[in-house]
Amino acid sequence: MAAEFIAQQLTLAKNISPLAWLTSTNERGQQAFSQAELPTKKHEDWKYTSLYNLSQAGFAATAPEAQAHAPVIPGLSAHRIVIANGEIDTNASDAAALELVVRFRDARPEQQEIIRGLLGEVKADRGHLFADLNDASINDGLFLLVEKNQRLEHPLHIVYANSCSSTAGDEAFTVNTRLLVALEQGAEATVIEHYAGDDTVDGVQNNFTNAVTEIRIGDNAKLTHYRLQLMSESAFHIGGTFIDLQRDARYEGFHLGLGTALTRNDIIVNHNVGGSHCEMNGVYVPQNKQVIDFHTCVEHKVAHCTTNEVFRGIMNNKAKATFNGRIHIHPDAQKTLAELSNKNLLLTNTAEINTKPELEIYADDVQCAHGATVAQLEEKARFYLQSRGISKEDAEIMLSFGFINELLNGLNHEEIGLWLRPQLAQRFGRSDDLSAQLTGEL
Amino acid sequence: MIEIKDLKASVEEKDILKGLNLNIGPGEVHAIMGPNGAGKSTLGNVLAGREGYEVTGGSATLNGKDILDLDPEERAREGLFLAFQYPVEIPGVSNLEFLKASVDAVREQQGKPALDSVQFLKLAREKCKAVNLDQSFLKRGVNEGFSGGEKKRNELMQMMLLEPSLCILDETDSGLDIDALQVVAEGVNAMRDANRSFIVVTHYQRLLDYIVPDYVHVLANGRIVKSGGKELALELEEKGYGWLENGNDNGAE
Amino acid sequence: MATNAEIESQIKAREYKAGFVTNIESETLPPGLDEDVVRFISAKKGEPEWLTEWRLKAYREWLTMTEPDWAHIGYPKIDYQDISYYSAPKSMDDKPKSLDEVDPELLAVYDKLGIPLHEQMALAGVAVDAVFDSVSVATTFRDKLEEAGVIFMPISEAVHEYPELIKKYMGSVVPQRDNYFAALNSAVFSDGSFVYIPKGVRCPMELSTYFRINEAMTGQFERTLIVADEGSYVSYLEGCTAPMRDENQLHAAVVELVALDGAEIKYSTVQNWYPGDENGKGGIYNFVTKRAVAHTNAKVSWTQVETGSAVTWKYPSCVLKGDNSIGEFYSVALTNNYQQADTGTKMIHMGKNTKSTIISKGISAGKSQNAYRGLVRMGPMAEGARNFTQCDSLLLGDKCGAHTFPYIESKHPSAVVEHEATTSTVSDDQLFLCQQRGIDTEKAVSMIVNGFCKEVFKELPMEFAVEAGKLLEISLEGSVG
Repeated sequence: MAAEFIAQQLTLAKNISPLAWLTSTNERGQQAFSQAELPTKKHEDWKYTSLYNLSQAGFAATAPEAQAHAPVIPGLSAHRIVIANGEIDTNASDAAALELVVRFRDARPEQQEIIRGLLGEVKADRGHLFADLNDASINDGLFLLVEKNQRLEHPLHIVYANSCSSTAGDEAFTVNTRLLVALEQGAEATVIEHYAGDDTVDGVQNNFTNAVTEIRIGDNAKLTHYRLQLMSESAFHIGGTFIDLQRDARYEGFHLGLGTALTRNDIIVNHNVGGSHCEMNGVYVPQNKQVIDFHTCVEHKVAHCTTNEVFRGIMNNKAKATFNGRIHIHPDAQKTLAELSNKNLLLTNTAEINTKPELEIYADDVQCAHGATVAQLEEKARFYLQSRGISKEDAEIMLSFGFINELLNGLNHEEIGLWLRPQLAQRFGRSDDLSAQLTGEL
Repeated sequence: MIEIKDLKASVEEKDILKGLNLNIGPGEVHAIMGPNGAGKSTLGNVLAGREGYEVTGGSATLNGKDILDLDPEERAREGLFLAFQYPVEIPGVSNLEFLKASVDAVREQQGKPALDSVQFLKLAREKCKAVNLDQSFLKRGVNEGFSGGEKKRNELMQMMLLEPSLCILDETDSGLDIDALQVVAEGVNAMRDANRSFIVVTHYQRLLDYIVPDYVHVLANGRIVKSGGKELALELEEKGYGWLENGNDNGAE
Repeated sequence: MATNAEIESQIKAREYKAGFVTNIESETLPPGLDEDVVRFISAKKGEPEWLTEWRLKAYREWLTMTEPDWAHIGYPKIDYQDISYYSAPKSMDDKPKSLDEVDPELLAVYDKLGIPLHEQMALAGVAVDAVFDSVSVATTFRDKLEEAGVIFMPISEAVHEYPELIKKYMGSVVPQRDNYFAALNSAVFSDGSFVYIPKGVRCPMELSTYFRINEAMTGQFERTLIVADEGSYVSYLEGCTAPMRDENQLHAAVVELVALDGAEIKYSTVQNWYPGDENGKGGIYNFVTKRAVAHTNAKVSWTQVETGSAVTWKYPSCVLKGDNSIGEFYSVALTNNYQQADTGTKMIHMGKNTKSTIISKGISAGKSQNAYRGLVRMGPMAEGARNFTQCDSLLLGDKCGAHTFPYIESKHPSAVVEHEATTSTVSDDQLFLCQQRGIDTEKAVSMIVNGFCKEVFKELPMEFAVEAGKLLEISLEGSVG
């Protein structure tokens, strides 16, 4: 089955209508992917997450005609681009947004040069077989370049909306997406990658998204990055996010894993020159039989860089989550400050969490710490709520939500927090009243 | 007591002290004031022998002995004590254990008999009380989780235990409120006697209301630019340092 | 004041004090391993048929297995045909009946190591089983222990005297095919200690096994089995040394602990195998499987001080099978020069209200690599289970590495797991403060390192805590002063 899956995906990759200037990337990717094996539990990096269901599902079809149902984030003034079933939907996108970015397909020769120079450069050889698959299949993508000392006034909101119609008998399909972000010296921007669900009446979202994002943040530049995965529980999502930090660069990321049957996200951050800072938070809230897996790796290659990483997860029903957070301090990375915290709540005895924070340190004058907990709600706090007349069940829900709400409160864009809050609260609230209470609407 | 002649020192190849002269007789208290970056803290660190502070010229003799070639611990055993501006925390090493090792080393140098554990504990408790620190601080890690004031009092307690001949207080008053300042000052005053000298480095005149100096020196741009009695401190408080610095090149640190 | 370079040169000056070789005439099998060798070892010990078969089964399993490669260690491939699997002093051929009959040369070895075997000279309250290469040469205080009903003897003798106990428990905690090195050990194990504490008995003295590798080109494959019957208590300590030799030697031991209902086992290790020289030449490859099963209300506590071996691969574990059982792991692992350690524990929580504590202190110096690897697993029945893990690393010098690989798996909503890890160094500021108070660099480092390890040392039996402290000091002599 695994071999079949590889063969199917390879056939799809070979059937794309290629961009002449990207064929070498395609060929390299196809070559690497054709030799790949689907990893199993025996591979340390895939110890807890099985690809069996993905390989069984079969995504042989090409994407049907786009039907974009792309949600907006209320109150947030953003430049919005909608990508429906892998194709840019120019009608649904803002004209201003389309001005901001370069489509690979429309790139002028000098832009092609820049794109080619960056593509695969940040990712280098750190991706796994799905990054190779993405290379194999690129024939379009988005490139955002923010020039020296420029500040993007509004966030760039990229909505990936996948949908096919159950009544029309559409088959499950694969979408490979590629995003390239480069901030020149002193530039500032906010980018929201939004993998949307499908709320149309007959829509099904059982397709497979394989997304690669490469980000280079130049000297003294700052990127705020949201990567929000809110897909339907039938979808499959594999994501690779690769971030390069130049001197004094700053990355502030928020990664949400809410939907899909299976999500696997690899996030790799490289401190390349010095003085850079990475502030990365994440939340995962799988329920039912969902599987969500975050693998983060922060490479401190040089001295005087800092990292602060916080991921929290709540697992309900029969859901399973995996968090693997690696911090790697290279031999010359003196004066590094790096901290990682991962906290988890299991709500049922059929849910499962596997967490593995890793420190690999080859320099002595550094301060590193990590903590991981799997815990119950705090007895004292629950009792306090109960003593004020709140039922035990409601108290538990409120406290669970509070556990992740802390991270939502810290978001740079309040509107995003306000928009996400009810969607997350829904996961816990048994009554609308309580959901409303949790989100502060009462 | 200590004689400092034409002392020059640099940090990371930048000259900080540029020919400093200072003579301190037994029992005297000298205050050193000066603007930020004048080299005030450097003086204490150079005399105590901190790594990274390179002596590029001059001499310093303590009780007739040149100390600049000695290791820091040897200087300490010779009776030089530096009360740190920011005392470092050493988790895992109990304060008591640390104090005993220190007192043992200094007493050995002085040819005094070692104290046994019981004697030492008694002494340590006494000193604890004298600086108003709870005895539980003896059991905790060195400075671990101490507040700013507690750290300074812990420094003072060490000074009392070691009975040094020259005490250098490096901005001991910074970050202390009036109450804490008084406790420290009382401790220092109690330590004053005919055979012990003090160098009190401070940025604020306030401290000198409590520890009254015999002499006040202004350190600017790596040199003593003015000396006087205790009234000089008041003058500085009023006028600032600008009137003294004119004619000097800028940027000492 | 001491610079890092100074510190490093001082670390290098470390001396391995147990590195002498003793010239004792030995009977040693030529290198190589096949079924005949397994049969030879079994025959040499006059083992019953079932045990020969047990060994052969393990050997056949071993042939189908591959050497694990997931640990954070690197070493040249071991040629298993280049190792001798049996070596015993000739004087042991006719079993000495008492200490008086033991070759004085052999007793002298243990005197030199500070483990006198004559009872009148021995440490009060500690019974010792001394294992020299492949055989046990002496066990002290056996009579006194027998009075209390405690069995403490070489496992090779226990096979004959208590076959039912051995049959029942050997391999019950670490099955033959548990892992590559355990399978190898099961096929060729030479000797080791067997302990049985009867119901409700509190073992009247500390038990201790002292392992010594002497012969060149030999591997040591001892096996220890401790069974603490219901409500009993025992404290057990093992120590290890080997001569300094240029080639690497393999040590692949298996230790099985069974703590029945309400029993308590405290197992302490001071591991000081030859670590190799300052250029990384020679030293013991230490691949050890240690595991305990704790039944209802039982408690197992592992304490280890690991300063030796070129390569250490070791994860003393607890299977907390019974409700309310408790597992503890306290570890100090120090690596210097080119030593590599990948060590930690597994706490498998199966029963309700099971508790585990993990305190791990890693100290890396020189060009060494020191990794903590631990698993905490909360099973689907582990209601109310608790774990706390504290994992600290101290780096002395900028050429070494300190790594932390904790695995946490939880399947029960009421189970609580807490893991914390920190890393630190002995800072210049700390050293300067000490120096300014008259304490020299060497003493200061020793104080800081001992402070760092305090939580673990306090778990060791008194006499050994002192030994461990000294060992650490020797290992870091002058080091990060």
